[in-house]
Amino acid sequence: MLYVVLFFLAFSLLLYVLLAGADFGAGIIEQFSSKHNRTLTKKTIYRVIGPVWEANHIWIIIVIVILWVGFPGFYNILMVYLHIPLTLILLGITLRGVAFVFRHYDAYKDKTQLLYDWMFRVSSVVTPIFLGVTFGGLISGDIEITANLENTNFYSAYIASWFNLFSLFVGFFFAGICAFLASIMLIGEANKTERRLYVKKARIATITVIILGFLVLAVGFVQEKVFVLSFFKNPYAIGLIVFSALLILPLLNSIKNERRIITRALAGLQVILILLAAFVTHFPDIIITTNGSVNILETVATNQVIKVLGIALIIGGAIILPGLFHLMKSFKMIKILE
Amino acid sequence: MDNLDAARLQMAFTLIFHIVFACIGMVMPFFMVVAHKKWLNTKNPIYLTLTKSWQKGVAIFFVTGAVSGTALSFELGLLWPEFMKYAGPIIGMPFSLEGAAFFVEAIALGFYLYGWNKLPEKFHWFTGVIVGIAGVASGILVVSANGWMNAPSGFDYINGEFTNINPIKALLNDAWFTQALHMTLAAFTATGFAVAGIHAFQIYKKRHVELHTKAFKIAITFGAIAAILQPLSGDLSAKDIAKRQPVKLAAMEAHYHTQKGAPLYIGGIVNNEKGEVTHKIEIPKALSFLAFGNFDAEVKGLNDFPDDVKPKNIALVHYAFQTMVGLGTLLMFAGILFFISLKKTHWMQNKRYWLLFFLLAPLGFLALEAGWIVTEVGRQPWIIHNVMKTKDAVTPMPGIVYSFYMYLVLYGILTVAVTWLMLRQIKFLNNSKIS
Ligand code: HDD
Ligand code: HEM
Ligand code: HEM
Repeated sequence: MLYVVLFFLAFSLLLYVLLAGADFGAGIIEQFSSKHNRTLTKKTIYRVIGPVWEANHIWIIIVIVILWVGFPGFYNILMVYLHIPLTLILLGITLRGVAFVFRHYDAYKDKTQLLYDWMFRVSSVVTPIFLGVTFGGLISGDIEITANLENTNFYSAYIASWFNLFSLFVGFFFAGICAFLASIMLIGEANKTERRLYVKKARIATITVIILGFLVLAVGFVQEKVFVLSFFKNPYAIGLIVFSALLILPLLNSIKNERRIITRALAGLQVILILLAAFVTHFPDIIITTNGSVNILETVATNQVIKVLGIALIIGGAIILPGLFHLMKSFKMIKILE
Repeated sequence: MDNLDAARLQMAFTLIFHIVFACIGMVMPFFMVVAHKKWLNTKNPIYLTLTKSWQKGVAIFFVTGAVSGTALSFELGLLWPEFMKYAGPIIGMPFSLEGAAFFVEAIALGFYLYGWNKLPEKFHWFTGVIVGIAGVASGILVVSANGWMNAPSGFDYINGEFTNINPIKALLNDAWFTQALHMTLAAFTATGFAVAGIHAFQIYKKRHVELHTKAFKIAITFGAIAAILQPLSGDLSAKDIAKRQPVKLAAMEAHYHTQKGAPLYIGGIVNNEKGEVTHKIEIPKALSFLAFGNFDAEVKGLNDFPDDVKPKNIALVHYAFQTMVGLGTLLMFAGILFFISLKKTHWMQNKRYWLLFFLLAPLGFLALEAGWIVTEVGRQPWIIHNVMKTKDAVTPMPGIVYSFYMYLVLYGILTVAVTWLMLRQIKFLNNSKIS
């Protein structure tokens, strides 16, 4: 059952990164567009993610619930030591969600739209950065776990682990991935003239991601981060990254040939491979601390709990996944029929 | 402000905010599907206009509810990491089922909002029903988690360790049923009266009277039925508390001296130092009867509980309880009044009728917040009744005050923004022609 639970954890996290990531990324693209293209992007975004955006963001709640039920020790460390970036993520999620509905449900479309748009774009950029920063903090090797927090100074206990070059670059890298996913998604939705625009955006996003990825590794290497060093020592991780990089060629090809499904699948696969590389590098030692690491499997709840959680997840999954699938499919179909 | 107080205030503040949006998100879909059904049956375009306008309300509140709920699911860990470390696995069950219910709700809402003229009529309507049912289910599940904090079960607590965890038993704790019943009714009462009140005001102002009367009737019917049942369910809760958390009962009633045939106080000013209540109306033996169904039963007073197991702020618990019960009684009568007015239709010609219902609009929510203050402040100093103290659960990170200020500003702005948006929604509705 532990593996069922781990599967759902990884699965939910993955879907969050892919779906919510594309969703955040759409806002990033909007931010980095000219005025005219912003309006266009705004319309496209609404058409594409309107019906599913709520569902996209629930995955993070599932992740959190699985963590606290199944891996209470792990969750505890996350919540205590990374309190500040997590709070900032929440701030971003709140502003973004609210801005998204406000700009579509406000009865009058007047000047306040400018404010909603601004809120939406800024929080779309900031939130994924802090998501990445939080993850960077976990693997930065700067978390100092002690039983004696009262006597540790505030900076080294609650700030040092995430507020450093390495974690920040992980943050930017993640935001880059979001923009990449979004641009691929938008390509598929656009008409002929708009297509050119998003193809260009996709190209810029891809290059940015590559540069940022390189920077993450370079900073990590220079600062001798355990995570990066063990990444370079791990042939599987290297292999996965190389594979992901090679996929760029068929990706470009399928964009050119306007193969929508294949394009998306390839882009998704690339991101999955990158995540997988990070995963094989340090599973199960998900948290790297100043003097060692925390093995997520050692923070697991009792068997009875895992059993019940696993059953709940299987039942929940059996209800939800088909529903979600139909939701996506129905609106695709409708769009085609239109 | 010390860290613990800041964390408690932040938790209280965010919950008080969330519950408003959650309740509306939970109950409005029911109004919406009733109006929708009437549109399908009568093809009267007024119902269609109404449905579409309520649907916007549902969408706005759903999202505000969802983001504040997402914040809460993090906050439980951010503010109370020691609590979650032990309680997480035990009460995770309701929360994971709740997650599933939310998901169903979000999917159904996606179908509903975007399905107009695209899905088969009946199916489209039905997705709206699912939104409502899933919302209520998730409300019940969270409240059951709260019930566990009041009546912990499903584990053995030996030498500070939680062993033998049984999540299903924890889900079905002693408090879940009474609390969930009372809460669900409260959500319908509060939302029903609030929505009805807004429409009553429009009728009072003579704007689109036909539409607003239809809206009023749908909303108030739900609200009135729930309000009439509410005191019964409250009585069940009180009897439960008497057995389960006698300190809380004593705090609610500001009952200081253990006594047989204890009186019930109405109103009054609590003086906690002296342990007495002045300026009250006293109903002899009523407390014993309400708590135990027996006029001569003994009710233990606050003075006979050790200091470290009773809430500090007795006055707040007592006043909040009085507020809830007072408002509850008032709303019950208002509910009865509505049903009588269905017979005596000339009452509805009277402007004062509409003014009255407008003035009642906020009271349901006031009662609801008061009720939560009773439950939550009355549970102190325990975070898990008789097992873990709130002060042992709080995060070690100092400076929570600042995060509290942040939420204060953020949610303050949100409240203003949502209110403003709703006003524009109504203005838009009033200015639009209904064909
Ligand atoms: C519209 C809202 C509303 C109204 C009119 C009432 N209540 Fe209430 N009450 C709530 C809303 C509420 C609540 C906010 O929903 C609470 C907080 C926790 C809970 O489960 O329900 C609650 C809690 C609560 C509790 C404590 C339960 C616990 O701690 O487990 C008691 C004893 C009562 N109520 C009793 C009453 C009585 C005797 C009422 C008579 C009129 C009444 N309530 C009306
Ligand atoms: C939405 C309606 C609710 C409201 C308005 C509410 C209100 C409050 C208030 C006023 C406090 C502060 C009590 C004090 O410290 O004196 C509090 C604390 C708390 N509540 Fe609730 N509550 C609600 C529901 C819930 C639910 C459903 C849960 C859990 C499943 C919960 C969990 C907590 C926790 C963990 C604390 C902090 C610890 C404590 O003070 O005991 N609350 N809440
Ligand atoms: C500590 C307590 C609570 C937590 C952690 C919590 C968590 C959440 C979360 C994560 C969501 C968002 C789900 C989504 O994306 O749709 C949410 C929404 C919601 N919550 Fe809460 N919640 C709490 C208290 C309550 C209470 C006391 C109720 C009602 C009795 C409630 C009822 C709802 C409902 C009905 C929604 C759906 C949103 C809507 O329809 O507007 N919650 N909550």
